[in-house]
Amino acid sequence: MTSLWRAIYFIRTATDGLRSSPVTTAVAVGTIATTLVVMGVFGLALKQMSGIVDRVGQDLTVSAYLEPSVDDAAARALATRVATVEGVASVEVVTREEALRRFQGVAGDRTGLLDGLVENPLPASLEISLASGERHEEGIERLVEAIRGLPGIAEIEHGQEWVGTYERVLAGLRAVSMGLGAVFALAALLIVSNTIRLAIYARRDEVEILALVGASRGFIGTPFLLEGALQGAAGSLLALGVLYLGFRVVVAVSGSALAFLIGHAEPVFFDAPEAIAFVLAGAALGCVGSLSALGSAWRPA
Amino acid sequence: MSPDGEASRDALVRMYHVSKSYLPGAFALRDVNLSIEKGDLVFLTGPSGAGKTTLLRLLFAAEQPSEGSIIIGGRNIARLSESAVPSLRRRIGVVFQDFKLLPRRSVEENVGLTLAVRGEPPRQVRSRAFRMLKQVGLQHRRHHPPVTLSGGEQQRVAIARALVGEPELLLADEPTGNLDPELTLEIMDLIAAAAARGTTVVVATHDRSLVERYARRVLRLQAGELIEAGP
Repeated sequence: MTSLWRAIYFIRTATDGLRSSPVTTAVAVGTIATTLVVMGVFGLALKQMSGIVDRVGQDLTVSAYLEPSVDDAAARALATRVATVEGVASVEVVTREEALRRFQGVAGDRTGLLDGLVENPLPASLEISLASGERHEEGIERLVEAIRGLPGIAEIEHGQEWVGTYERVLAGLRAVSMGLGAVFALAALLIVSNTIRLAIYARRDEVEILALVGASRGFIGTPFLLEGALQGAAGSLLALGVLYLGFRVVVAVSGSALAFLIGHAEPVFFDAPEAIAFVLAGAALGCVGSLSALGSAWRPA
Repeated sequence: MSPDGEASRDALVRMYHVSKSYLPGAFALRDVNLSIEKGDLVFLTGPSGAGKTTLLRLLFAAEQPSEGSIIIGGRNIARLSESAVPSLRRRIGVVFQDFKLLPRRSVEENVGLTLAVRGEPPRQVRSRAFRMLKQVGLQHRRHHPPVTLSGGEQQRVAIARALVGEPELLLADEPTGNLDPELTLEIMDLIAAAAARGTTVVVATHDRSLVERYARRVLRLQAGELIEAGP
């Protein structure tokens, strides 16, 4: 009963506090929302980039060219063996005939290049797809080491260097985004902290009176923490709305240009768990800002 | 009553060699020794700047003395930790000249605040606040905001808030400083009634007529020193 009453008291005091200074509250919510919109833009950009990485990863294969002496049955047996290697998701046998068909498909009207040849010069190969956790430079290296020297394999071709470069670029972009995110989070923290400090200053008489009648620090501070959390949650909800509208407008206006930029994929907004995490992060930001303000503004009467 | 510096077995408040300075060499209080017995009504007098408010602030742990010991109810509060201050203040009622009421809360909520911070259930808070308001004759104004009340009524609300928690000690800092003579007596009668019910009361005032009228023990401060500690 006491705990329930206290909870009701805290919520009522916090909402009263927000209502009693609507301008300060609106400014705080607006500023938090603005900061979170900037962070959200980075989050959305990273999300599209991660999508590209996933698609590139799905297309990433290692080709093991087979010696001419390996017939189709031996190739299938070799494929079965390679499929058991750790980190391999699937293995496809590309016969010499299939390789020729693919070449003709790619060469188009330049197939005349093969006219002078008596026999199909293209070797059979195994196209090896990596498991999702292995689609990186080290994963490719491990696979190559495991299958190099297997009887029947003549040559291995892979995009290890390209993958490595791409990964480094992506890691750099992620680090920059995270750094910028941290800067914006810190800015939001300072804003919330200063807003709550103003709220405490505006209600210093109330704080003093509560302390005089024997209220504990927790009793006095909890409504301010709740205020910070509510401001953070309201700011993040507002930011989420703005981001969604902005996202829809950009998708509608840019059309195929955006699809080209992100690798002909469907642009995606935050899903439900991400949106909930965004709002909770806003609330947490508000809470931490309030804590920081309380830490410095607290002076018992 | 107890003479200056002499510890009594029934003393609620004792101060031993208490000094308070805000700057080196500048004393707000200097080597104060006193003892106040349970249930006493004591006047603390002296000119402005004599140290009356500082002494009261030391008693409700708003400040710590630079030197000396302050014993309240057997506990030395001179070096009380911040976390222990609320429990001390729940044993003390404080009344100020400027009332210090919450303007956005009703009269009843202001009075009930003392009980609410202790976690008492709302029904009990309302019931006790109502009984206390009845004692000070303001039960009919319980739903009003304090700003709609007269100065005398606001001070009665402040006294009700200070007494509703049945404190052992009531500290009043110039409680009638903002009131006309008629209201002054009304407020002082309420404070004296609390003392008659067993609450130890310290009233800081520079109103000589008040001190003479009630003829109680007087602690006189001058330039931070206790120069008179008896009736």
